[in-house]
Amino acid sequence: MTPLAPPPNHRELLIGMAQVALSSFGGGLSAWSQRIVVEQRRWLSDEEFLTGLTVARLFPGPNQINMAVYIGAHFKGLSGAMAALCGILLIPFSLLMLLGLIYFQVHQIPAVDRVLAGVVAAAAGMALSMGFKILGSYWRDPVALGLAAATFVALAVAQVRLIPLVLVAGPVAMAWYWPRPGTTAGEAPP
Amino acid sequence: MPLSLGDWSQLLEVIGTFLSLSLFSLGGGNTLLAEYHHLSVDQYCWLTSAQFADLYALAEAAPGPSSMIVGLLGMGAAWREGPFWGLFSAYAAELAVLLPSTLLMVVACLSWNRLRDSPWRLAFERGMGPITLGILFAVGVKILQTSNHGLPAYAVSIAVCVLMLRTRLSPLWFMAVAGLLGGVGVINR
Repeated sequence: MTPLAPPPNHRELLIGMAQVALSSFGGGLSAWSQRIVVEQRRWLSDEEFLTGLTVARLFPGPNQINMAVYIGAHFKGLSGAMAALCGILLIPFSLLMLLGLIYFQVHQIPAVDRVLAGVVAAAAGMALSMGFKILGSYWRDPVALGLAAATFVALAVAQVRLIPLVLVAGPVAMAWYWPRPGTTAGEAPP
Repeated sequence: MPLSLGDWSQLLEVIGTFLSLSLFSLGGGNTLLAEYHHLSVDQYCWLTSAQFADLYALAEAAPGPSSMIVGLLGMGAAWREGPFWGLFSAYAAELAVLLPSTLLMVVACLSWNRLRDSPWRLAFERGMGPITLGILFAVGVKILQTSNHGLPAYAVSIAVCVLMLRTRLSPLWFMAVAGLLGGVGVINR
């Protein structure tokens, strides 16, 4: 185990996160994040990084952005979090804004619209695959599947809005899964 | 740049909308997409449904987190005032959607040792998982309905979905091929 490097300052956080964002331009952001933060710069140990990943997944917000915020906050509190946030977002967001500006200028051209119709169909397939990707981890828990199905029906069929749904279904689900002494994690109560 | 009171109130509408949604972004994924569509197309009429689908595809194709679509929605909301105002609105929207969740994340990071073994955390993690699953399927169906109106388009979507789950290919390839199919007129809206 190599010793950790001295904790980064704000500028280093910003540059490090920008490096993570740039490296991951072909995908695989979390792998790059680990490679740069743990292996190259040695800011965090593997364990600390995994803890960060756990926190980032648990709390609301995009995972990759939450991870950057965690790293920044870990070293420099709120201002460190802001520096890391700017670092991870600055380049990709500017690029997307450029694409957006171009889009709003040209999207009415028929040829552009035709190509976009195709791209949109592919993107919709990606959106559809999101649910299937995590379906496997709930396959053996009938209660979880029931909750998921009820959520789906409420949103897609009954047109319930997301915020009221989460505020009602969230506490119900949490009460059901509340850890009880003597039962193993995630099992139905006797 | 002719700015009226109406533009400022619309900017506040954009900021308020995304501020209030921020903490409902569960499971890190795109769980808010259907809600974004409802607000920006049906409720506030910032965009047409087709434009929303375009912007979603743009955000998926571009490098970086696809949740950056919020910036594009903010841009669309203010586009009629010109590119500069559109950009301003885009940055405001993105900041608004990230600020609350970022602040919570900072608090979580600083108090993690107390939270780690709390029953609240366990119950939240286990309880929210299935709800997130349901939301993601609802989002998938919503985007599918928004994007497609023809049989060939649906076939492409389902093929891409299967390929996403079965192969490790970059989604950019699927988008490029589908864009080509659209260009030659196989896929229509």
